[in-house]
Amino acid sequence: MGLLISKLAHYNQAQKKQNKTKNGTPKVPSSQLSTLNSFSHSLLKFTARRTPTSYQMETTQTTEGGGGGATGIAAQMEVEAFRRLFPLPFYKRHLLESVRPDARALDYARDTTISLGPVASADGSALVKIGETAMLAAIKLEVMTPSKERPDEGSIVVEFYMPPICSPMVRPGRPAEVAPVISKQLLDVIRSSGMVNLKELCLISGKASWIAYLDIYCLNADGSLFDAALLSAVAAFTHLQIPLVSVTEEGRVFTVSSEQEEKTKFELVNKEKRKLSLSSIPFPLTCVIHEDYILVDPTAEEETVMETSITLVLDTLGNLVSIYKPGGVGLASTEIMKECITRTKRRMQELKTILEESVSVMEVD
Amino acid sequence: MEYVNPLTGLRIDGRRPTEMRHLKAQIGVVSKADGSALFEMGNTRVIAAVYGPREVQNRGQQMNNNEALVRCEYSMANFSTGDRARKPKGDRRSTEISLVIRQTMEACILTKLMPRSQIDIFVQVLQADGGTRSACINAATLALADAGIPMRDIVTSCSAGYLCTMPLLDLNYAEDSAGGPDVTVGILAKMDKVTLLQMDAKLPLDTFETVMQLAIEGCKAIAQYIREIMLQNTKQLECRRGS
Repeated sequence: MGLLISKLAHYNQAQKKQNKTKNGTPKVPSSQLSTLNSFSHSLLKFTARRTPTSYQMETTQTTEGGGGGATGIAAQMEVEAFRRLFPLPFYKRHLLESVRPDARALDYARDTTISLGPVASADGSALVKIGETAMLAAIKLEVMTPSKERPDEGSIVVEFYMPPICSPMVRPGRPAEVAPVISKQLLDVIRSSGMVNLKELCLISGKASWIAYLDIYCLNADGSLFDAALLSAVAAFTHLQIPLVSVTEEGRVFTVSSEQEEKTKFELVNKEKRKLSLSSIPFPLTCVIHEDYILVDPTAEEETVMETSITLVLDTLGNLVSIYKPGGVGLASTEIMKECITRTKRRMQELKTILEESVSVMEVD
Repeated sequence: MEYVNPLTGLRIDGRRPTEMRHLKAQIGVVSKADGSALFEMGNTRVIAAVYGPREVQNRGQQMNNNEALVRCEYSMANFSTGDRARKPKGDRRSTEISLVIRQTMEACILTKLMPRSQIDIFVQVLQADGGTRSACINAATLALADAGIPMRDIVTSCSAGYLCTMPLLDLNYAEDSAGGPDVTVGILAKMDKVTLLQMDAKLPLDTFETVMQLAIEGCKAIAQYIREIMLQNTKQLECRRGS
């Protein structure tokens, strides 16, 4: 986790501190300035004459300058102000050029990284970063008595938290609205995809089985929360290591740590079953729709501005597990839905590779 | 149980009695926050995020128009401790620690410079292995510095205890739950003033002096480390500014 957090911090600092120094004056490092600044300025120059705010925009064109200079800063502030005051026209102008403010193409997702096992005290854990959005998932296993209707099945409990650190919108008295929504979505997807065979969570049929408590914490909320959450849940299940257990005479089940295994001769109940075999892993993709444009993997700003999002979940066998379009201003025709499905397929391949790489990295360690 | 091995003089995790756990800190881990920091003391990992100064959300809470309102919330992740059964916030311990952190940071923030505004400090414990209070205060100091909030001095905190007739610095969870005294000290580093002092269990007065002195030494060492981290961070920012 240390390595990933340092990557996280480094990446964040490069992105964030370019917009803010300690006294609040926006600054952009010269390497990024030429691409972003001049690009935004050329966009504004393109449509400046047509809008009522063009007068102010005209003045910024002449101050389009090199990196770090005083005129560069003044021009940058105009762009920032425009972005805050008129977010939709700002985005529309970028969309006309088929690009987004962070210089991504419309159908590209942000850099995704998965790190397995950051939480040493949990049985399975994963830290997932999609761009700035960071999710930490951890699974803890406890023993319970299975229900009478399903004596040889365990169960999974999913809880999704958005602590106040993750976003300025979340405050102690006012929890985030989306948190319980995402929590339910996750539970539905994990159950319906059949990724985890609940029979594998059984210890002694009718008497003892595992209950897996999956807790997902959002550490940084910058759009595509469901994507990152589901991916972290999947990664945590991939990393899950079921502890060895043994039974006392009274029938109490207790865990045996790996050092005790060699020393004493406990009768181990589940010596073979240490890892879950996951079939048909679900992979998500969230897109926002604006008129005829489809923006893949939105940031928080894009989500608030465009307002209509679609989340699709496909599994590795090619089945569509879930479609979620909770209303919204934008209407999705069948062509748009098909486009989204194609994008999701591609994203699924990407995520599958990333997950496999992180698993092999962990096994090497 | 032998918390200090009489032959080698080492503790259960192999440290010497006056040795602190391994420290690690990083600034800027939460990009959405105005300032944030990750602080690790051994296996205890804590993230602090600062939002502010921003508009006061609850007018009723704003007591004093001439000062900024400082709010703090402490919560532990469900998986942070050994067993999961835990209500993450709202229980008494979390409320108490939130209050303690708030009052400690209030002592060092120059609230008079930011009237009618609010500074929120949120602390999330990801892994708890003793000394979470201290780790939270240290993380909050770094996060406030990252957010550019004016402070009088940096506040650092460390805990110390007394087991097997030896003063021990920076207790971990096993040593903390041994039932011996646990002294937590928070100081303003350069001004050399104590803002936080908490102790539970019984301790004779002269032993208390030794233990508290040890904790203050620990705080000063942490302050040294925090200064290095902040200096590194400033150098990186300067580099990015291109000056």
